Amino acid sequence: MQRIINALIQYRNAIIYLILLIISLLYLNRNSNFHKNKLEKYGLYFSQSIYYLSYSISKYFDLKKINSDLFEENRKLKEFELKSKSVSLYPRNYFKEKRYPFVLKKGNVIKNSFLKQRNFIIVDKGKSNGINPEMGVISEKGIIGIVKSVSENYSSVISILNQDLKINIRLKNSNAIGTLSWKGINPKEFQIEDIVRNTDIQIGDTIITGGMSSYFPFGIPIGKITDFEDNSKVGYYSINAKLFEDPSLIYHVYMIENKDLDEINRLQENTLK
Amino acid sequence: MNRNNITLLISFILLVFFQTLVFNNLYLFGFINPMVYVLFLVIYRFDYDQTFFILSSFILGFLIDFLSQSGGAHTLSTLTIGFLRPSIIKYTFSVSSEMPVSFQDDNRIFDKYLFLSTIVGLHHFLYFTLVYFNLEATSLIIKNTLLTFIFSLILISLISIFYSKSNDS
Repeated sequence: MQRIINALIQYRNAIIYLILLIISLLYLNRNSNFHKNKLEKYGLYFSQSIYYLSYSISKYFDLKKINSDLFEENRKLKEFELKSKSVSLYPRNYFKEKRYPFVLKKGNVIKNSFLKQRNFIIVDKGKSNGINPEMGVISEKGIIGIVKSVSENYSSVISILNQDLKINIRLKNSNAIGTLSWKGINPKEFQIEDIVRNTDIQIGDTIITGGMSSYFPFGIPIGKITDFEDNSKVGYYSINAKLFEDPSLIYHVYMIENKDLDEINRLQENTLK
Repeated sequence: MNRNNITLLISFILLVFFQTLVFNNLYLFGFINPMVYVLFLVIYRFDYDQTFFILSSFILGFLIDFLSQSGGAHTLSTLTIGFLRPSIIKYTFSVSSEMPVSFQDDNRIFDKYLFLSTIVGLHHFLYFTLVYFNLEATSLIIKNTLLTFIFSLILISLISIFYSKSNDS
């Protein structure tokens, strides 16, 4: 206490100066509207920058939560988008409940390869999160693969960068059905087979999923045609395509659960018998 | 209360009255109002109490502001000069064993006028900065500071000569 008083006495001039300075600033502020406006402007600037600083700090620490919220929101929107594209599944009668068998689930890629000819992806969601084998995996701008096997908390996905995987596709403009497979070198370059020669195709046509497999719903945009060749002997086009998404760079993915998968499989088995 | 203090008190009152009644209505060349009351900050003896000096310079500025109905620029600039005066004394009076005791009793002419013009110049600069309070008016601030500074300096020098003489007699 003694030391505080000593310090106060020692710096009394500065303290008195500061007090009187504040009093005269208040006086100036009260007396002159011009100065009042100016001072308020500076005060606003200071408080704004302080608030902005604290806002950005707190925002930085909230980023993780915001990210996961956005991911969840994106999942819902993606589901709606897919739903809106598959008009054919809607009953014509509007009083009946609309049924859509595909449900999206979130996941994060934790391991991804693209250098081999047969690549696999590990996703951090497994059986406990409701992931089952044979679920389709898509990302924001295209398809990624199909779930091959699941453990309790993880699942392994056959990447689209795997030469064994053939995806049923459709051309958006001409509705021609074909098969998409990886060429094996560049992660964005793919080839399309089985498109019959009498269809009218152009460079730049959009490729979408065909909806013929039970893995992917109809209408997910995958990529674009970059060039094509007319194989008149075989009767099919050989087409090169480029994906919208680079499958080697993805992090957030959505797994598509088809609730009718068992039913379809059973039906197929019955038909084969 | 000795003679010095009475002189100081009377000059304080006279400076306030002359500043508000005469010099604030001078309008030399249309806009120059020399600020003579700064003389008080000069003639206050250097060996007197600094705390009281800060308080009295605040009161001086406040009275000028109050009587001439200006915002508060006089108060702020006078108070700041009052606070800074010890350092100004330290830097303007050349280093010697003899510490200056007061402005009027010292006989180092160059140092005295350096001190005087520093105080007046700083005061005017602060005053006009506060009056315009705008970065865009920098040229206006400098122009006003310089012109008013010249006239204030001439008047204050004249009056301070009168002070030295009255003290001598």
